[in-house]
Amino acid sequence: MNQHPTIAPPFTPSSAPSRRRFGLDLARPSRRHWLGYLLLAPAVVLIALIIIYPLFVSVDMSFQNVGLVRLGAPRRPFTTINYERLFTSPEFWMACWVTFKLIVVVTIACFVLGVGTGLLVNNKFRGRAIARLFVALPWAVPEIVAVVIFAWIFDSSFGLMNWFFIKLGLVNTTINWFSDPTAAFAAVAVTMVWKGYPFVSIMTLAGLQSIPEDFYNAARVDGANGWQRFINITLPCLMPVLGVTMVLTILWVFRDFSIIYVLTGGGPLKATQTLSIMTYEQAFSFFKMGYASAVGVVTLILCVIASRLMVGRSAESIY
Amino acid sequence: MRTRPSRQALLYLGVVLTCGVLLFPIYWLVVTALSPADSLHHLPPKFWPEVPQWGIFRQIMEERPIPLWLGNSILAALGSVGISMFVSVFAGYSLSRFRLRGGPSLGLFILTAKMLPATLLVIPLFGIFRQLGLIGSLWSIILAHATLIVPFSTWMLKGYFDTIPRELEQAAMVDGCSPLGAMFRVILPVATPGLAATALYGFVLSWSDYAYARTFLTNSQTNWTANLGITTMKGEYITNWNQISAAAVLVALPIIVIYLFLERYLVGGLTAGAEK
Repeated sequence: MNQHPTIAPPFTPSSAPSRRRFGLDLARPSRRHWLGYLLLAPAVVLIALIIIYPLFVSVDMSFQNVGLVRLGAPRRPFTTINYERLFTSPEFWMACWVTFKLIVVVTIACFVLGVGTGLLVNNKFRGRAIARLFVALPWAVPEIVAVVIFAWIFDSSFGLMNWFFIKLGLVNTTINWFSDPTAAFAAVAVTMVWKGYPFVSIMTLAGLQSIPEDFYNAARVDGANGWQRFINITLPCLMPVLGVTMVLTILWVFRDFSIIYVLTGGGPLKATQTLSIMTYEQAFSFFKMGYASAVGVVTLILCVIASRLMVGRSAESIY
Repeated sequence: MRTRPSRQALLYLGVVLTCGVLLFPIYWLVVTALSPADSLHHLPPKFWPEVPQWGIFRQIMEERPIPLWLGNSILAALGSVGISMFVSVFAGYSLSRFRLRGGPSLGLFILTAKMLPATLLVIPLFGIFRQLGLIGSLWSIILAHATLIVPFSTWMLKGYFDTIPRELEQAAMVDGCSPLGAMFRVILPVATPGLAATALYGFVLSWSDYAYARTFLTNSQTNWTANLGITTMKGEYITNWNQISAAAVLVALPIIVIYLFLERYLVGGLTAGAEK
């Protein structure tokens, strides 16, 4: 250490009062929490303006008999007619049923595929890193692109799927995938599974990474075979991650709009109209904004209840 | 690990088959884009284009304003990620470092905000933006995408700041930094990978949106984002599958490239917190 007394030390007494000129010395411990609030302020203001206020508007709208929203217009009288209509409308219960079916089918298939591929590429082999990258690649394909791919694969005249089915001798005439309710539901489900399983793979792999190797070594010493190691170590250790992943997958199916809307528009005969699609259709095809808001509010409440039921107190880990 | 050669071979076979089946749709998209239109209209399908039609990309650019759409998508993503990152860096830092009254409840609200269906929020936002005269302009999309990104990025950044020891700021303040100076000079440089991951993820969220673009931009073709533009190429009765596939390849390419090269960052964002 060679010291040069000629050079002024970095902290001169004169620089301390200079900060006081702004009237607020943020370095003082008593002022620190002010800084905390100050840093939060921009986010709180933005969230208030673009999320909370619109949310209030839509709840408010769901209790008014309004068509097109005019914010400047005087409020319509308070009414519960939208909710009465909703709960007595067969279309709404149908949408609930479709949403439920889609959630069950897509979530189970995503998990079988996702956990399966995750376990497969977690084995030790050369090129494992590349395999991991590729197995989850569909995650990086935008939903609209996935729709383009599968709309073509399920094309009724020249699509691969029909050709494949006929080749296998499963059917003897072409299936009109988008005009038959069951077939359209299947097409939507297949598209969603292909787009959704990589997320489960990614999460499974992350979960597998966090299991200490010692667990397996200890089990080997105790003479557990591969199957026992899987049942007694791998699965229990994966459970927390898989729980969160399941909630996220279910919420995704619940809320997804673009895949279904572009692939089938909710048709044919409302066979693929989930609650999300119904909300949008009522608002922007029929301009019943009040009624649509009611559907949306019910959807949100269902989302919150479903996730709370499934994760209970560990909601903090939800991403 | 004891690995017998036969087991290893079986493993390779399984991995190759699985990847082959799961990635086939992406391959099929590329093949469809590069096939001449007439060859798509007879069976059996050709699984390999004999003469790849690279001209298709120039052709769709001449017929449709695709560069413009891609530009709009990029602008919307940059705008919404910019705004979101600006507010979330401060908010995430505050949630991580200060014990504030209302902090936990704000955190809880942010988590709930992630569950908001876009189809619910799109209705009041449509009314508000129409009032403000933003319908049809890119600003409507930028603000709407911020509703998707802000809850996510704030939470993710809080998680990153939590992993950085507080001693760093304390040391900086002892050396004469103000609290803000410590944050900018010491913490943000350390958190750069986290910032990059969060921004990338925000970019992907914005790039993939369809619901907001479909609602706010329908009337003004010059402001269409790429996702919205593609869907208009899907006809009611007739669709030129090679053209729409080529456009889809262009839209998917940026995200796929980001994923292949920066997968660690992106996936870090996905799985952060799930292993707690």
